[in-house]
Amino acid sequence: MSDATDTTTTATVTDNIFEVKNVTLRFGGVTSLNNVSLEQRRGEILAVIGPNGAGKTSLFNCLTGVYRPQEGIINFHAASHGTVDIVGKPPHRISHMGVARTFQTSRMFNALTTFENIKIGVESGQKTGPIGAMLHLPRMRREERESDHRTLDLLELVGLSHRLNTMADSLPYGDRRRLEIARALGTNPEVLLLDEPAAGTNPSEKLALAELIRTINKETGVSILLIEHDMRLVMSLAERIYVLNFGQVIASGEPAEIQSNADVVAAYLGVSEDEVKTDE
Amino acid sequence: MTGPESDLSTPLYTFQHALLSTHVVGFIIFGVALGAFMVYNKKVRAGILNSSWRKWITAIPTNLRAFIASSGLIQKAILAVVALVVALFIADFTGPYVAHKMAWNQVIGQLLHTRTYGYIAIIFWSLNTVRVRAQSRNSNAKAPSFFDATWVKILGGVLAGLFFAACADPWLPVRFSLSYFKWSGSSDDDFFHHWTTYLWTFCGLLVGVRAALQDRMQRRAVVQSRWKANHIKVSANTRFALYAGALFIAVESPKFIDAYWQETIFQQIGIFCLLAIGLNVVIGFAGLLDLGYVAFYALGAYTNAYFSGALPIHPPFTINTFFVIPIAILVAMLAGVILGLPTLRLSGDYLAIVTLGFGEIIYVLASNLTNVTDGAGGTGTAGSFSMNLPGIHFALSGFAIQDDLNFYYLLLAFIIPILFFFNSLNHSKVGRSWAAIREDETAARSLGINALKYKVMAFAIGASTSGVAGVLSSAKLGAIFPSDFALQVSITVVVLVIFGGMGSILGVLLGSAFIGWFLQYLTFHSFVGYNPADKSMWLGAILILTMIFRPQGMIPSKRRMREFKDAEANLGTADSLGSTTGGVT
Repeated sequence: MSDATDTTTTATVTDNIFEVKNVTLRFGGVTSLNNVSLEQRRGEILAVIGPNGAGKTSLFNCLTGVYRPQEGIINFHAASHGTVDIVGKPPHRISHMGVARTFQTSRMFNALTTFENIKIGVESGQKTGPIGAMLHLPRMRREERESDHRTLDLLELVGLSHRLNTMADSLPYGDRRRLEIARALGTNPEVLLLDEPAAGTNPSEKLALAELIRTINKETGVSILLIEHDMRLVMSLAERIYVLNFGQVIASGEPAEIQSNADVVAAYLGVSEDEVKTDE
Repeated sequence: MTGPESDLSTPLYTFQHALLSTHVVGFIIFGVALGAFMVYNKKVRAGILNSSWRKWITAIPTNLRAFIASSGLIQKAILAVVALVVALFIADFTGPYVAHKMAWNQVIGQLLHTRTYGYIAIIFWSLNTVRVRAQSRNSNAKAPSFFDATWVKILGGVLAGLFFAACADPWLPVRFSLSYFKWSGSSDDDFFHHWTTYLWTFCGLLVGVRAALQDRMQRRAVVQSRWKANHIKVSANTRFALYAGALFIAVESPKFIDAYWQETIFQQIGIFCLLAIGLNVVIGFAGLLDLGYVAFYALGAYTNAYFSGALPIHPPFTINTFFVIPIAILVAMLAGVILGLPTLRLSGDYLAIVTLGFGEIIYVLASNLTNVTDGAGGTGTAGSFSMNLPGIHFALSGFAIQDDLNFYYLLLAFIIPILFFFNSLNHSKVGRSWAAIREDETAARSLGINALKYKVMAFAIGASTSGVAGVLSSAKLGAIFPSDFALQVSITVVVLVIFGGMGSILGVLLGSAFIGWFLQYLTFHSFVGYNPADKSMWLGAILILTMIFRPQGMIPSKRRMREFKDAEANLGTADSLGSTTGGVT
């Protein structure tokens, strides 16, 4: 806990993209997130790790408006919208502000092609309405062209150009994760939340995925918030790491610090109570 | 069932006789032949059978193209004769109805009718297009031909169209004085006698323009095909030909059936089509189950009754039925929004129940709000379609037999644009957003799609066509009764959509046509023990059989077919009843 408070004081407000302050989320009697505070700097790759049930995905759901935390505020400093408290905003509004996410279990639109999957993300911010679509008005045609080109660019970025007419459900698992990333990027986000992007992929796919995430971060300047179980991936990618356990931030800092943190080791390896005490 | 069909007069023709004598036998032979061919095809593909004539058949298009493209004099002469014969048949086919139609001497008689020569012009023009294309394909270095210049093509198209028009109707200049545009009657110089001629003239012009723009379109198609390959399985020309053919059949074929079936086509199948196309937006595109769809239909019908002064409450002014249509559309859409906003937060079964309730509310209001709707006794005569402009006078009567065909064409004038609108809607941002919401609402929302907005939109757009259907139907029926808008109508429309194939416009049309025909067939066909009240039972049987043997419908949409496969593999839900896939993880 002491580490967490340290980082809050060192970070300056202006270059943060996310400021999560004292967020508490309860489901009935179960507290999923307990007084969680977290900051992400603009352009940073930040990882959130923790054992199963630690509340990582709940945190993501709070950040994207799926859940509404009972307490706390989540400030999102969007370059385009200024500072907004996104608690209580609906998911589509948050998406338009510049927060995009992927899901832990792959949630593709299975009956659509790869191309269409990405295009849905790209065109969600466009203005064409049903009348324009029915009558093929000029704006609709222009926007279609724009989204077609952007979609092709994104397909190329994630390396799926050769699969653009494949149905999403016939893609191999690794490609599906890439597709999901491309789809999220299509909404032109400022921050991209990746929920276990490497789950279920093989080692070589993992390497390629890490490379992709780094490329996205470097080339487009999108900040990345990452949940991942694969420690090697996290340590190689993340600039800073937050560790959640039982809904609380137990540690935060550079990868090296985290690796040597006793609380983290205890949380992951399930060290018994007395051993934790002797460590301290 | 007490749908709109319950008011039908007794059959004018003994169509049982007609059905049993030729049609049914024909259908059976066709079905058997089709089945045999499919089995055969399957065996050939599986390698069980070796077919030499199959190769020969697949080579036909190539040979035919080569034949048309060749510049030999004999080939040209043969083509000319073929074109003449085809043109004669088309000319006879599209001409006014006479007895012994398509009899050989009638066909020959068309030689005297100058319309024929217009068809010859079109056929030659099409053949020439094929020739130019084949030549440009065969040789890389294209020889500059006179016919290749764009201006020649445009001029040729215009000339072909004008020539056609003039040939088909020598009195064209006189007719354009507008005093000739009389809508009804059967004399030789009224508008309806010749309006199909104008239609095909227009198509002729279109052929010319297309031929002129062909190079440009082909170039664009090549650029697009890289990422549009999934949508364009047939070439643009083939598609154009298919559309033209479908239009041709839709316009010309009802002339060949008797008055009873003309009325059936309008009253049953046509109205079903409009309703089903609309409900398809809600069920097929957006994946929401709406069991109260008939309410919008009722609103359309009562709007027409209101504005023609047929209700106890009188409007401030009565207006022409044509102008009621946009009002009815607005009323139906507004009702869709009002119903949708509070209820669309629900999903699956709950939504179905709420919409069911809405349908019943409208039904009960129509029955019991006697001082507004005249209650169960039915309204006065709702406005029918009439026009009284300088030069254009007509009044369609809902009761006159000769107006059935005219009502049908009126209906066609609404259905065809709606088909195109909804098709492009389905392949646009809106359609993809619906698909996304249907498949995974959480993911869709995370991508910035306002799910509630799109669902309400689906309700409103779906409701709009039933507003139109309500006006058209009430104009034809005259008086309207609350019983026309009972729950069974909603259920029937749901069956049409499910039977035809959710999400597939073509499928829904087929569903409407088949079930519309089937119900009508049952109503007046007295095979042993059949009672018209058993209709619901037959509908139920169709629904059950569909669900067992082909749950995706007769002509499913590609997306829907995929979803059904996924559902079988436990990858997602396919039916509109299911909640969104899984919880939020």
